[in-house]
Amino acid sequence: MFGQLIVSGLAVGACYALLALAMVIIYKSSEVLNFAQGEMAMISTFVTFSLLETYHVPFEWAVVLTFLFAILLGMFFELVFLRQAKDPTVIGLIIITLGFEMILMGFAGWKWGPDQKSFPFPVSNIEAYNFHGLFISKINFWTILISLVLMFILFLFFRYTKLGIAMRATQQNQLAARVMGIRTKWILSFTWAISSMVGLVAGILIAALGVLDPPMMMDPLLKGFASGVLGGMTSLPGTAVGGAMLGIIENLFGGYVSLAFKSVVAFAIIILMLCIRPSGLLAKHYVKKV
Amino acid sequence: MLKKNLTLIGLLMVTVLLIAVPASAQKVRGVTDTEILIGQWGPQTGPAAPWGAVARGTDLLVKIINEEGGINGRKFKYLLRDDSYQPAKTKAIAKEFVERIGVFAVVGGVGVATGMTARDYLMENKVPWYGPVTGVYEWITPIQKYLFALYPLYDDEAYNLTEYLHEKLGFKKIAMFYQNDDYGKQGVQGVERYLMRKKLSPVAKISAEVTDRDLSTHALMLKNSGADAVIMWTMPTHAALILAETAKIGFKPQWATSSTLSDSVLLMQITKGLWAGMINSFFGELPDSNHPLMVKYREAHKRLAPQERWGVFYYAGIIFSEPFFEGVRRAGRNLTPETWVKAMETIKDFKGIGPPVTYAGLKDRQGGKHVFYGKVRPDGTIEKLTDWIRITK
Repeated sequence: MFGQLIVSGLAVGACYALLALAMVIIYKSSEVLNFAQGEMAMISTFVTFSLLETYHVPFEWAVVLTFLFAILLGMFFELVFLRQAKDPTVIGLIIITLGFEMILMGFAGWKWGPDQKSFPFPVSNIEAYNFHGLFISKINFWTILISLVLMFILFLFFRYTKLGIAMRATQQNQLAARVMGIRTKWILSFTWAISSMVGLVAGILIAALGVLDPPMMMDPLLKGFASGVLGGMTSLPGTAVGGAMLGIIENLFGGYVSLAFKSVVAFAIIILMLCIRPSGLLAKHYVKKV
Repeated sequence: MLKKNLTLIGLLMVTVLLIAVPASAQKVRGVTDTEILIGQWGPQTGPAAPWGAVARGTDLLVKIINEEGGINGRKFKYLLRDDSYQPAKTKAIAKEFVERIGVFAVVGGVGVATGMTARDYLMENKVPWYGPVTGVYEWITPIQKYLFALYPLYDDEAYNLTEYLHEKLGFKKIAMFYQNDDYGKQGVQGVERYLMRKKLSPVAKISAEVTDRDLSTHALMLKNSGADAVIMWTMPTHAALILAETAKIGFKPQWATSSTLSDSVLLMQITKGLWAGMINSFFGELPDSNHPLMVKYREAHKRLAPQERWGVFYYAGIIFSEPFFEGVRRAGRNLTPETWVKAMETIKDFKGIGPPVTYAGLKDRQGGKHVFYGKVRPDGTIEKLTDWIRITK
């Protein structure tokens, strides 16, 4: 049972980590917690679903086209809603993300209806690999693998590409970045676009693991946020570690302590981390001189 | 001068009273010479949204009745509100129905916790409420004058389903997977009540919270219990998630579930076929039934609501409102909450497309007491295992 709990925890933790990554990418650049992240991912996943089911587009092409949609959605939100905010404070921007979340939720209910949908993923969510009694379902295996690959790509992107370095520079000091010739406004839009793409991957995996419906991201988003707090809201590797840890901790707690309280573990972790190590496990704690 | 003024004021008051008294004596909230206002809440968004189809199904029956000219010379105006399965919203909707709109009655309404926030308020305001869409004791204990329940009790349904699994099908190790609220707990109550009578107990009782999306641990614990049959009392999302998770780890017990999950078309689709083999209880005719009323409703559905999927959750909205309209019919032209209650109390063995419905004055407000069992075939159709069985003795 222990091994099984770890494997299942890692799979669900990988999804939490992706959502946390999507949130952290934005948080690092603007200190805004994007509460619409889950619904942006949900809408993009529904678009993939429509391309697959209504227009019978092959899976690979449907994903590619939805990536484009996710980019546009992220940039649209940043340009049309956030950038237009007058004298924005961080709290004001967070409220805007909450409003956008509601709009997207209502839109999905209206467009695709309230019934759950089965997301057509090319990997079976039932078949499993059996390693000496330890079942690793194909979908769990691919979820972990896809998440790891995506995290590695993000690492390479931020480390070695011009755009990635420009984004990091903007995240660290917007004014200095602007002085160095970086078009920081565009960089902010790109940040939202990349975050939206990462969220889409999480959305597709979560829909494939369960069902596709408008509220499907509510719980994972909160867990993603908890993962970010656990690993560090300013550390990309931290969120990956935080997601994996949260998935495993939740499963072990549910399996050995109390299933009824399994879902509140994430929130206990948020409180605990904010009390003892507010910067998270892997992020550096900066102290500002005043 | 003062005397003259007092006389004038007195005359004015008498006039106002003379005009006002007859009017208020005649006026019934939500009823005019030509129209009756009724309302229903239901989750059109949120995790329980598939059950929201019930409220839209009622709309179809209202349209059919209005097309036929209404009842006793009055047509119906139907108001549907989305409460997202959130009790706070339900209470606000109930207040809107009574204080702002002024409905004659509330029909249906999905949810125990949601309905409970409105029950006392509706009763205090003498608003007839027919057919809350849950089978719990809260609607009939204590008996409320203006509240009539239809849905067969979960407790009795679970008791009889366990009996069926144990005695007819021979399952000995029975586990329970349920939603951690009144809905799920009354299912657990029925399972335990039967097993206790047999000096047994469930091999596992595993619960899930409404918002839970990861049920991998739940599945493992069910597997480790060694159950050969699992009864589930959850919402559709959790039903799909637990079947997928148990299939992943190679756990394949006999599943059985309540009538709340009897929309096999939807469930076959969202479980990617894992729903096949499910033993289900049913409280209404099957979707493809040749019952004359079902034929009539299906035809009307094609004409009046083609955008809706013809599934159990949808036409359950008809089941939960047919007896209400029968009560309005029997109450005659002089429709008031009192005459409607009296008319409802005369209903005996009423048969629409749901279970036979009988009320007995203030002694018995539980209308539906029957279900039947069916098994889901691989193509999603239902093999009827029994005829109607009386589950509430």
